[in-house]
Amino acid sequence: MSAEQNGAPAEAVPKPTEAPKDAPTETPKQAATNENEKASKEAKSGADSKADKTEPKSSDAAGDKKLTGAELKAKAKAEKAARRAQQKTSKEVAKGEAAVSSSPGQLGPSASEVKSKGKGKDGASAAAAAGRPALPKAPPSAVVTEQKIQIPECFSHLSMARRIPMTQADKDVHPSVLMLGQQMATFTIDESITRLKATMLAFRKVIESYITPPGNVLARHFTPHVLNIQIEYLTACRPMCFSMGNAIRWLKLQVSKIDMDASEEQAKKELCQAIDIFIAERITVADEYITEQGAKHIKDGDVVLTYSRNTLVEKAILYAHSTGTKFSVLIVDDPYEQFGQQLAKTLTDEGIKVTYSGDFGGLRNHMRRATKVFFAAEAMFSNGAMYARAGTCDVAMTAHELGKKVIALCETINITERVATDSLTYNEIDPERSSAAAFRLMFDATSDKYISLLVTELGSVQARSAPDLLRKLEEFN
Amino acid sequence: MAPPKGGYAPTLDKFLDTLKGRPLEASIESLVSLLKRRQIQGSEPCALATAHILLQVVVMDKYTDVNQLLARIQGVARRLVAAQPRELVIGNIVRRVLGLIRDEALENRNEAGSDESISSPVRDASPPPMSASVSSLNEAAPLAKMGRPGLMNALTRTQSMFNLLADPDTTPPIWSTGASPAPGSGVSTPMADPQSTDVKALRSEVIDGIEEIMDEIRQVDEQVQAYSDIIIHPGDYILVHQPCKTVQRFLTRSKRKCTVFLAVDPSAHPAEDPYASFRKSMAATGSVVVNIMNTGLMAYMSRVNKVILSARAIMGTGSVLVDGGASVIARAARELGRTVIVIGGVYKLSPDNQIDQETATEWGNPSKYVNYSDGRMVGQVTVKTAVSEFVPSELVNTYITNLGAHSRDHLHAIVNDHYKEADIEFDLYGTIRK
Repeated sequence: MSAEQNGAPAEAVPKPTEAPKDAPTETPKQAATNENEKASKEAKSGADSKADKTEPKSSDAAGDKKLTGAELKAKAKAEKAARRAQQKTSKEVAKGEAAVSSSPGQLGPSASEVKSKGKGKDGASAAAAAGRPALPKAPPSAVVTEQKIQIPECFSHLSMARRIPMTQADKDVHPSVLMLGQQMATFTIDESITRLKATMLAFRKVIESYITPPGNVLARHFTPHVLNIQIEYLTACRPMCFSMGNAIRWLKLQVSKIDMDASEEQAKKELCQAIDIFIAERITVADEYITEQGAKHIKDGDVVLTYSRNTLVEKAILYAHSTGTKFSVLIVDDPYEQFGQQLAKTLTDEGIKVTYSGDFGGLRNHMRRATKVFFAAEAMFSNGAMYARAGTCDVAMTAHELGKKVIALCETINITERVATDSLTYNEIDPERSSAAAFRLMFDATSDKYISLLVTELGSVQARSAPDLLRKLEEFN
Repeated sequence: MAPPKGGYAPTLDKFLDTLKGRPLEASIESLVSLLKRRQIQGSEPCALATAHILLQVVVMDKYTDVNQLLARIQGVARRLVAAQPRELVIGNIVRRVLGLIRDEALENRNEAGSDESISSPVRDASPPPMSASVSSLNEAAPLAKMGRPGLMNALTRTQSMFNLLADPDTTPPIWSTGASPAPGSGVSTPMADPQSTDVKALRSEVIDGIEEIMDEIRQVDEQVQAYSDIIIHPGDYILVHQPCKTVQRFLTRSKRKCTVFLAVDPSAHPAEDPYASFRKSMAATGSVVVNIMNTGLMAYMSRVNKVILSARAIMGTGSVLVDGGASVIARAARELGRTVIVIGGVYKLSPDNQIDQETATEWGNPSKYVNYSDGRMVGQVTVKTAVSEFVPSELVNTYITNLGAHSRDHLHAIVNDHYKEADIEFDLYGTIRK
């Protein structure tokens, strides 16, 4: 039964693409075969000892036994293949979910679309929906009540954060996730990496408080029945960022890797440890390293230009200042959000000379003064495009035109294997500044040709080499 | 810094109302301070104000010959330009007027040389002599107050009275206030007579000319509109940056359905929509207007077909003075090969060749985004806000003026049509140039 539902969570989420759709339908089968094989293996191992003496119970087992040596090997191979297939599918499920998170359609503005999709699923795969009838309904109702924003048709494929009243969330959503969802929906937690960290910590809490229902195994039960509900809620609050997609895929893999025979306590401990290590490696240490590496690019007499505020850039600038480098900073801001003012205050408090421009007027003049330009990426696409705060592309373009060095800081967890050819492939609509007559995109994609250097914790590379870093990461794992 | 709407804040209209009753010098002074305080701002109001004040100079000032008038106008122009050096239309209008005076003077001299008696009746046929002389009497009064010597005053009067009784066919009655004979130039001796008629004729011609310029400025919107159907195609996505009235009317004229992305002034309060009427008239034709709440518009460029910018001034080289922030948009559009169209009346076409476009960005009111109550920002951070900046000529595809659509290379020809060599070279900036 648990195997049956392995694919269910992904099923309940309406999918934009074909690929994930296929994955879940296969999953139960594969998982089932896997189960069967395992069972038969157990039976066999038990039987093997007596194999020679006793008569086989079933013809199947008998067939197994006849070819002991070579057969065993083949069996093991098949089992391994099956397991690999399962891992792959679970990966795909995660991928599908990630795709759903920040991709067209699913969180699209039209409530009816979401609703109808949900309904269609209900009808089509009753098995999948039966487990959680409440879930697909919750987000649409929130949509109906809140969504009066009229999105121009040409942007209707983009997704948007929504405030879902806590009362409308699924009852199984963990309190810490519930709170996190609200913080994300209101943009209190905004940056990709902070969202990721908060999510991982919240999931850790979820794992800690998880109790496997009798007759289930953590590795089989946790992902479909607990984790996916949390993910769906978070996604409904605000489309997942790419780093969250990556991390969730990783987490699901960890869960599936857990030994079936391990005790619940042991499994939970292992998972929590894995999350701790993940946060330390991919976020904390990565940040420190990138900060240092980024700061190395700031030299005496430099004029560093940056756009709006980002924690990583701020850290790098402060670090460079703390090492005694003498430089000044030019902040160009997004007039609608004005986070740059916050950065300006932080930097001047440390004694750094700051010039501030509230908008893009005279950007060329500022850029002429600047010597280096720093950005932090929200995500990197595998075609080298940088996904970052809307407006970054314009600044980078101006810098490129005037021959200034553009340095992008990015943790590798933000690198996605997806490709964005323009800013409208993946994007998010700002719910707070969009109304019947107004519209605001939150991000844009900066072409790799405007970026001189991509600084990550695995080293500094050309932006186009982002996918190579991904491959490197896969080798590590 | 922005003056409150309505109320007591001086505007162009209020300034124009005061022109009539005030002595010339006071009017100039008031315009200079209005320009300095940016209470008259925007190219059209500035152009109109300049034209009006120059008209007043021509009407009310005293001069005996063309050169005096030219010098006088150049003097006033320098003061205006010093007050608002970044508003190039002021210089444009001044140069247009100077050119006009030169033209008229040349014409008059030729006429005076050849056949005066024939030309003058033709010229004077239209205005009724009676009212003209009455107005000339009225005109004499303020001049007298300005400290004219008594004798002169009497002379003027006599002349006017004489005109009243004289055959209107022989003496040109309009504006015959007798301001012509300057002290020491052989006061109204018969010798000076042809010259003074000259000036009188010149004056009336120049006044007509300036009024034509003003009409031209007012008619720009209408004339530019005519080209909208060529530019706007059904289903277009058009990006405009803080459109002025000209661009708004240009867009509304075309009845084709399109989507307009409107890059608004980010500092404007969301509640007040300066484009409400524009939005309404666009909606009437089924078009959609969407305010874009981003400054960097590269993200939208893949969708946009055309970018329309409203010019503050267009240089002969093809670069365009625009509102701050529009330059980035033009660059983004160009990067993706989108069409960039600049719209502005011909009066915005500037022959100025002294401006360094790289540094000509006008920096203005820093409190646009940073509040003065924010001590940490005010105290330690250098805040810069650009009011206007240049778009390099290579980023612009087409220029649309009231004379039609032009390519970059054609602009020089238009400049040469509208301005005289001598005026182009005239240094308006004088001592204020850095």
